[in-house]
Amino acid sequence: MYKKNKISDKNNNNIMDIKKLIKRKLLILDGATGTQLQKLGMPQGVCPEIWAMENPELIQTVHKNYADAGADIVYTCTFGANQIKLDQYGKYDARIVNKKLAVLARKAVPANVLVAGDIGPTGKFVAPFGPLDFEAAVNIFKQQVKGLLDGGVDLFVIETMMDIQEARAALIAVRELTDKFTLVTMTYENDARTLNGTDPVSALITLQSLGADAVGSNCSCGPKQMLEIIKTMKPYAKVPLVAKPNAGMPQLINGQTVFSMQSKEFAGFAAKFSANGVSFLGGCCGTNPEHIQALKTKITKNKIKPIACARKSISAVSCARSHLLLDLAKSFSIVGECINPTGKKVLQEELRAGKMGLVRALAKQQQEQGAKMLDVNAGVAGIDEKKTLTQMINLLSVSSELCLVIDSSTVEVIENALRIYPGRALINSISAEQHKLDKLLPIAAKYGAMFILLPLNDREVPEKFVRRREIALQIFKQAQKHGFTKDDLVIDGLCMTISSHQGAGIETMKTIEWAAKVFKANSICGLSNISFGMPRRLLINSTFMAILRKKGMSMVISNPLHETEKYNKPAENILLDKDKNATKYIKYCHDSELKLKGLKLKPKAIENLSPKQKVAAAIIEGNKEEIKDLAKAAILAGCKPQELVQKIMIPAINQVGDLFDKKQFFLPQLIASAQAMKTGFEYLEPLLKNGQAETAKKNVIILATVQGDIHDIGKNIVALLLKNHGFSVIDLGKDVSAEKIIKQIKKHKNPIVGLSALMTTTMVNMKQVIDLANKQGISCRFILGGAVITRGYADSLGAAYAGDGVEAVRVAKSLSK
Amino acid sequence: MLAEKFEPIIVELPLLQIYSRLGYVNNKTHLSDKQRKQINAYISQAEALIELKGLAIIVGINKVTESEITLFNNLILKSDLLVKLLLNSSQVLFMGATSGETITKAISENSAPEGDMTQAVVFDAVASEMTDAALDWMVHYYNNTMRRQNKALTKRRFSAGYGDFAIENQKLIYDILNMDQLGVKITDSFLLVPEKSVTAIAGIEQITD
Repeated sequence: MYKKNKISDKNNNNIMDIKKLIKRKLLILDGATGTQLQKLGMPQGVCPEIWAMENPELIQTVHKNYADAGADIVYTCTFGANQIKLDQYGKYDARIVNKKLAVLARKAVPANVLVAGDIGPTGKFVAPFGPLDFEAAVNIFKQQVKGLLDGGVDLFVIETMMDIQEARAALIAVRELTDKFTLVTMTYENDARTLNGTDPVSALITLQSLGADAVGSNCSCGPKQMLEIIKTMKPYAKVPLVAKPNAGMPQLINGQTVFSMQSKEFAGFAAKFSANGVSFLGGCCGTNPEHIQALKTKITKNKIKPIACARKSISAVSCARSHLLLDLAKSFSIVGECINPTGKKVLQEELRAGKMGLVRALAKQQQEQGAKMLDVNAGVAGIDEKKTLTQMINLLSVSSELCLVIDSSTVEVIENALRIYPGRALINSISAEQHKLDKLLPIAAKYGAMFILLPLNDREVPEKFVRRREIALQIFKQAQKHGFTKDDLVIDGLCMTISSHQGAGIETMKTIEWAAKVFKANSICGLSNISFGMPRRLLINSTFMAILRKKGMSMVISNPLHETEKYNKPAENILLDKDKNATKYIKYCHDSELKLKGLKLKPKAIENLSPKQKVAAAIIEGNKEEIKDLAKAAILAGCKPQELVQKIMIPAINQVGDLFDKKQFFLPQLIASAQAMKTGFEYLEPLLKNGQAETAKKNVIILATVQGDIHDIGKNIVALLLKNHGFSVIDLGKDVSAEKIIKQIKKHKNPIVGLSALMTTTMVNMKQVIDLANKQGISCRFILGGAVITRGYADSLGAAYAGDGVEAVRVAKSLSK
Repeated sequence: MLAEKFEPIIVELPLLQIYSRLGYVNNKTHLSDKQRKQINAYISQAEALIELKGLAIIVGINKVTESEITLFNNLILKSDLLVKLLLNSSQVLFMGATSGETITKAISENSAPEGDMTQAVVFDAVASEMTDAALDWMVHYYNNTMRRQNKALTKRRFSAGYGDFAIENQKLIYDILNMDQLGVKITDSFLLVPEKSVTAIAGIEQITD
């Protein structure tokens, strides 16, 4: 947020005061509150905030102890004083509770110690990551903020956030009520991501652009690990950083869980934190006034001063689980354009029906083809654009790791999208159309979004670069008034079609070159417009992309499924206006089409393998797509079907089994080979007249997952492998009763019976089957398998055992002899 | 008291665990680029079909004897091993998670004779590992929220059917969590349906100074 919008408190010098203060000294925050209250007698299971309110002298003792120890800022005891949490303990008004606790804190410490209104999580994840509606979350936090303001806090701290969307909701609540200095700290797991997968840099980009005055981490881990989190943030921070680590991590010592780090060791990290941009340093779980005093002593004794983060601005976007640095000099980013229903009937129908399956698929496909961002547009006639775009953003925030470009021509739709998007978005686009410009710039500023600057206005879509530059500079001048810098915008090259104005390509090139090399900002272009109405559009689009990149374009809006950067001379000539009326290009397209028609498929490179060897290789490689053709080729080359099965395919599948046994192959390879074998065998089966393969097929094996058990994937694998080895498999399926199995056994002469079970509760049903067979004097041989089955268990029932599919084949073969 | 519902649960794709579950051994298993690409494509498809969600509830421990734990809601958990695990616990956390019906259906369809069995085994491994990861996620969530109360979950968690903690307890956990609200059913033999659904118990201990 570049320009503060709504201010309810009159005395707003505090931001400047704190900013001045952190230039001079490293500000010390307090330590853990809950454990201090427990030491003072707070019983287990009570609401700490209510207990503190009812025992004012004790919470004031905690605050005073921290102030005495050297804390420059103490947190109000309001971490859980939001309405959702308070409701779990009875009827309390959050605003009143917050006010009282803020007053207690203010009175407990001297005037030179600042009081921070503490806001913690509600315990509910916020949409789209959980059930709590975003606006409901904002309103819950607003109630808390009002109470803290009533109580006279000096600043705010939003802490221990696991959900970036909840942190955003809290920050918006603060920012819509006050300009007071606000710290936001997230809690990270061992993998340096929040529970929902937000990394520290993404959180930093999101929160600092949304108006946090300082960003950092609390709780999570000890100082050593937290220092690493801080280090990753520092290069991208334009705000001071905050660290409030635990006293190490909880450890199990002599059967007791403890925070083991002592105050001296804890304080030893102060200089390193300071050197990495931390201006606010304190303690979280496991820390006490001793830790804070040790920090104070260390900072004073060693004269540790804060070293401010150097950035003034950053060109970067973020989403819940990633971020993208738009480094003009280094990066080139494709914005996938496919999630736009304009001209796409299928997508339009899906969106009208409220379905999001295609949106999800398009996001995935574009990411796989190299898109770094996704343009999302829900502009379809007859649908609620705001609602549909919200659905899209919610879906993609959960299912995709790509940052979004909010694409709409409606101000209200953009505003809503920016409010709920859990990151820093890029707006597509803001032009000099006055009615929109006046509304969109403050909105973009409020939510800290970047925007694509489209150099056109109400009266004209300028053809010439010079006029585009003029309009771009006008927009930038207005944007600066809202706090935007060049890093916050991306200049659009305004791509128009060459079929109506052949110099259009050149004007776009000039615009891009100026944006990149003179104005020194990111630039972008909607690629596909250029070739509208021309033959072989991809050729022109791809060539145009290559040219514009050379001119310095850092982003492109394109279809990554089709368009790639590829140079073509005839296309270049029309783009550079060297081919009047595109006559040469059109002739080139015509000629190359004829040439393509005349071309025959080139034969594949001759491999050194014989046709028979190729069949074996297909089985080993698991190539079920080609094995039929390869088997056909081998037979045409003179190999007999029986020979192909016996001497080539079975040895090949046996080799796969050996490789699997040696762990040189793993399960998917084993199965893929078995499927290739099956496909090849199905082709050859009608051609097999006599021979061993047919004899082997006479061996019948009955397979079943026993009654009560619904797991059958293992049994299905065994069936596939047995079929590969010529067994005639009768698969009875899963959850099969003993009676049904016995009935089937009776139909065959001395068959092999494979029983599978995955649970200890269902393995007992194997015994039932075997007992029933014995009781009825039926002759058959059993093989048992499944996750819980052991060789010992099988032995105890007089059955054979197979640990996996390959072993099942070996055992079945041995029983068949 | 109602169980806390988590939907969606977002976890990082546990790629190493998925490969390991399928039998991949580092520096031993040979995989061509084509095969790896294909398997990764299956993993990616599976990930898109999985909808992780979960439930959790905390219940206080009333009494512990040598072989059973009585909870405040009068439920009794019988298991020597569980008693050992919950030795220092004042409460227990019940958790349940599922990867949803869509992936289970896809596994089932692909493991049929006319399906793509390779895809089925990969889908199966992805769903299993991601459902476990959903439980890990809940463990982290509760550790984070309880740390400020100076509490932590036991390092290990228990599932019904493990050791002497009988599979019949699955029904008890199912009921206490009301897993029906996730679309999960339980069979007479205590199996959860969809198949890629799991439950677990962990203890809540006080962190001492």
